[in-house]
Amino acid sequence: MRKIIVSVLGHDRPGIIAAVSEVLFRNGCNIEDVSQTILQTEFAGVFIASCPDSLDIDQLGSSLRERLDPMDLSMLLRKMEAAGVWDPPPAEPFVITTMGPDRPGLVAGITGLLASFGVNISNLKAVFRGGINPDENTMIYEVDIPTSVDKTSFREALYGRGREMSLEVSLQHRDIFEAIHRV
Amino acid sequence: MLTHIEILSTLEMLKNEHLDVRTVTLGISLLDCASDEPQRFIDSMISRIGVVARDLVSVCDEVGIRYGIPIVNKRIAVSPIAVAACSRSPQEMVEVARAMDSAAKAVGVDFIGGFSALVEKGFTKGDRALIEAIPEALAATEHVCSSINAASTRAGINMDAVYLMGKTIKRTAELTGERDAIGCAKLCVFANIPEDVPFMAGAFLGVGEPQAVINVGVSGPGVVKKALDRAREANPRLDLGQLSEIIKHTAFKVTKVGELIGRRVAEGLGVPFGVVDLSLAPTPNVGDSVGEIFQSLGLGSIGVPGTTAALALINDAVKKGGAFASSYVGGLSGAFIPVSEDLNIAESARKGFLSIEKLEAMTSVCSLGLDMVALAGDTSAETLAAIIADEMAIGVINKKTTAARLIPVPGKKAGQKAHFGGLLGEATIMPAPGMDNSGEFIRLGGRIPAPIQSLTN
Repeated sequence: MRKIIVSVLGHDRPGIIAAVSEVLFRNGCNIEDVSQTILQTEFAGVFIASCPDSLDIDQLGSSLRERLDPMDLSMLLRKMEAAGVWDPPPAEPFVITTMGPDRPGLVAGITGLLASFGVNISNLKAVFRGGINPDENTMIYEVDIPTSVDKTSFREALYGRGREMSLEVSLQHRDIFEAIHRV
Repeated sequence: MLTHIEILSTLEMLKNEHLDVRTVTLGISLLDCASDEPQRFIDSMISRIGVVARDLVSVCDEVGIRYGIPIVNKRIAVSPIAVAACSRSPQEMVEVARAMDSAAKAVGVDFIGGFSALVEKGFTKGDRALIEAIPEALAATEHVCSSINAASTRAGINMDAVYLMGKTIKRTAELTGERDAIGCAKLCVFANIPEDVPFMAGAFLGVGEPQAVINVGVSGPGVVKKALDRAREANPRLDLGQLSEIIKHTAFKVTKVGELIGRRVAEGLGVPFGVVDLSLAPTPNVGDSVGEIFQSLGLGSIGVPGTTAALALINDAVKKGGAFASSYVGGLSGAFIPVSEDLNIAESARKGFLSIEKLEAMTSVCSLGLDMVALAGDTSAETLAAIIADEMAIGVINKKTTAARLIPVPGKKAGQKAHFGGLLGEATIMPAPGMDNSGEFIRLGGRIPAPIQSLTN
């Protein structure tokens, strides 16, 4: 069995997931994972499906485009490769939150620092509505910090980067949020 | 995946509502340090505390940073010294207290509890020596706390001990008179003292406890108040049943935090985790007050009519939420109403809304008792003992813990202020109506028999 990954992007409306999954089903593909999100008016969805060895991937791409072009949706189809994939090191889950006035470069500033420490982002929600209301300008990162990373230097670097960008930054182990909010 | 609302509400609790862990208290047994050689006991005690508590502060700080939850106080509770050092003379007991003080200082904790005796049914030689040593021990040390259990539901009230404690408090006040009798702020007389209290001045490690153990006191008055304010702002029609539900949910969250942090510290130190104490403990900081919760429930001030009912509601809701969050709940587990340690309560006492009589009524529905109550310096030992006896009776009959931490401030009168500094705050001296009319009763002595409630088997 081979696996493919399909991503779809465009204005949100009813029927997008239905259209993609119908084409995949018609071509003998079995969906293993789907995730979608909507930012403002825009839809983004990612599908991972296994497909029969006999399937012509280019042909599948044409069928998907044929179906999605009239809906003005962009589509990307790739084979999933096992080789060369990044292997996550042992890590611990933390949550980074930032609050502060909006300005260009905030996401780049924080994520650049995370990347330099090899910290992987597993979930990100960032909202910038402009102005100085901190509640309307937040970034919440769920991250995995490799156990090999020195937590004190990482913390200092992160807080330092926050100060440079006038952001209030917090870094906390994920367990505390689970403890407070989950029964 | 966490929701952003969950994450932001947690941050709000931390930043603006004083969510923290109020105390992590390391219990250390000293029973096997017992020796017939005074110096040998002291040496073993110092070395035991040094070894077991060496990393307490650093582990607490590390865990606090990792989870983003500050651990405000790190403390030590040892076996009752009257048991562990039972063959010592009063003067040798003072030396033990000095050694406890320097051991506490060496490991960086702010208080060490356990200069204690359990005398609800009578005195051993060690108990008498320890109580005799209390005034000098508390005057000579900074970090040592002392507690005496003078009554229990099973034993009744040892009125000889109550009278002796009246005299002891008086003497302690005299010896620390220059600092507004601060020695008395480190001395508590109990009924039904639990053996696993993490809060001072009552913390000690009971004889049924393990070699070492971590007990945790959660915080939360600020968090509870803000939760109530938010809920009432969103829906002004909420009734007391619904508000009690809000307190319950908040207590659940606060307790989960306390247990998580306590367990991580215990792991870090390689000792077992004991209990979470669900007490709402205030500090003299704005927004960290138990008194303010009463205002959030619609009372003009703590102390006015309606206060006891409101306190009953708060205390019960905290226990219900906490008991669901943790299976290992212990210690005092109830709201504290320490007059000087809570800005709002101190202010209410200053205005005259809160009297000794009202505080006493409140202690029938919450955990501690007459806590950090400053009295006139000329209050007699007999009057102090009589106030303590009343408090003991409430505990004994209601099968609950009560305590008295009374501070007769030398040279000061009702209406004047006593200043203790730091976490202990400051308090207006309360009038004690009917003073000097209890002497004959107190001097009768003996033991008030255990009540019929004690026959539960």
